[in-house]
Amino acid sequence: MAGPWKMVMDNISRDRLISILSPLMLLLLWEALVRFHLLDYRFFPPPSTIVGRFWELLVDGTIPSHVAISLFRVFSGFLVGAVPGVIIGLTMGLFPVIRAALEPVVAATYPIPKLALLPLMLLIFGYGEASKIATIGLGCFFLVLINTVAGVVNIDKIFLDVARNYGATKRDYYLTIALPGALPMIFTGMKLGLGVSLLLIVAAEMIGAQNGIGYLIWTSYQIFRLEDMYIGLVLMAFFGYFFTMGLNSLERVVIPWKDPKS
Amino acid sequence: MEGPKIVVRGLSKVFGTGDKAVLALDDVSFTVPKGQFLCILGPSGCGKTTLLRILAGLEKKTGGHLVLHHENPAQPLNSMVFQEYSLLPWLTVLDNVAYGLRMRGIPPREREARARGFIDKVGLGEFARSYPHQLSGGMKQRVSVARAFVNDPEILLMDEPFASLDEQNKILLQQELLRIWEGTNKTVVYVTHSIDEALYLGDRILLMTARPGRIKRDIEVSFPRPRDFKELKTNPRFAALFAEVWGALKEEVLGTTLKERPPRLAGT
Repeated sequence: MAGPWKMVMDNISRDRLISILSPLMLLLLWEALVRFHLLDYRFFPPPSTIVGRFWELLVDGTIPSHVAISLFRVFSGFLVGAVPGVIIGLTMGLFPVIRAALEPVVAATYPIPKLALLPLMLLIFGYGEASKIATIGLGCFFLVLINTVAGVVNIDKIFLDVARNYGATKRDYYLTIALPGALPMIFTGMKLGLGVSLLLIVAAEMIGAQNGIGYLIWTSYQIFRLEDMYIGLVLMAFFGYFFTMGLNSLERVVIPWKDPKS
Repeated sequence: MEGPKIVVRGLSKVFGTGDKAVLALDDVSFTVPKGQFLCILGPSGCGKTTLLRILAGLEKKTGGHLVLHHENPAQPLNSMVFQEYSLLPWLTVLDNVAYGLRMRGIPPREREARARGFIDKVGLGEFARSYPHQLSGGMKQRVSVARAFVNDPEILLMDEPFASLDEQNKILLQQELLRIWEGTNKTVVYVTHSIDEALYLGDRILLMTARPGRIKRDIEVSFPRPRDFKELKTNPRFAALFAEVWGALKEEVLGTTLKERPPRLAGT
């Protein structure tokens, strides 16, 4: 391997290492503060205790079942929201008439906190999975939709001329211009959408579920079992972190044309 | 040369409506025989790009007649080489060049082979898998030229394709363009504001007036082909023709400079 290339690799792995180590350092600091009685252990049980309890709940299957159901809800809701968000967003971006027709509707409904719709969702879909998936789906839908529209609208007009001059069909406009051109913005929308999904899943499970990480956090508050609550919080933090990492990696694979300078 | 390829009669274009209406093209008429390299020369803002976009079907004419003779339906009628960098950033050089073929439903293997041939012709063989942001300006316009040629259109429309390049690259690309074009019998309409370029490339120059764009002069450029840039520049006939064209163009350029921001007459 040539010299400069190796240096680039070294830099990348160094940055990766730092980004993995920094959260661990924070945990270490927490542990130390509790041990030296600078933090109240009743509200902030030391990470070592939490890890012990985590192991217990992991082995007896409590955590895996909560995690599985929460992840199922998040991913289903994400897909239910993001896929139509992209499709409708591309359509609104490509066709000004459709954009003009739908924009006021979107502008009027987008600001409604999606959590405020949970009671309605519970009424419509009942206490089953559909109500949570629908709530999360709504949250993702708007973020992906708005960012997709912006992504398509900002595509340089000359690319549309190119497509037209070379005889693109409607399908070609979607697949060779709008989708790839908006992809960076679509990813922005998806990252925001996943963040909102985590927020919504916890709230939805606190109110309308008998399982899941949100339920775990809420019940541990009710029985004042703070280790369990922290397990829930740490799990959420981990998922947030890994979702973002995962989307960033996916973005690098899917958008290889992105100019690193821009 | 054979029958007319392009016939334009009394073409006009108005942008906007009412008080804000601007007449961009006024009573433009000309005929282009098949296989001719026509240069449209005019000051900035004279509507020459608009004229080209109307020919390309990217803009609607307001009035007049326009006929492009499409001889072979299996072949696309026209392909355009755009002014700015118009390569799709999300496609590799190879996929950009093959874009027109892909739109026409030509199978991947064949379009790749044809695209590779033209990428080699413009000397970018080793960059086939690169993305546009990894190329220099000159390389990008080479790809644009290859993309239009590989599509094998009957008419090539070129909108100041080399205007943003430095002088050396411009000359190189002009030479390459002539080398690729000569012998293809393709009709070319080439928009430019450079007299040198028009004289070097064209069989004929249509000189346009400043806004609104009208045809001011129709000038035959009869230097034999293949043309050599160095030789042509030292040819006294080139100098004479340059002086003639500049004389006519100067009035238009001065006109627009002096009339910059004309007073609003209507409604004031």
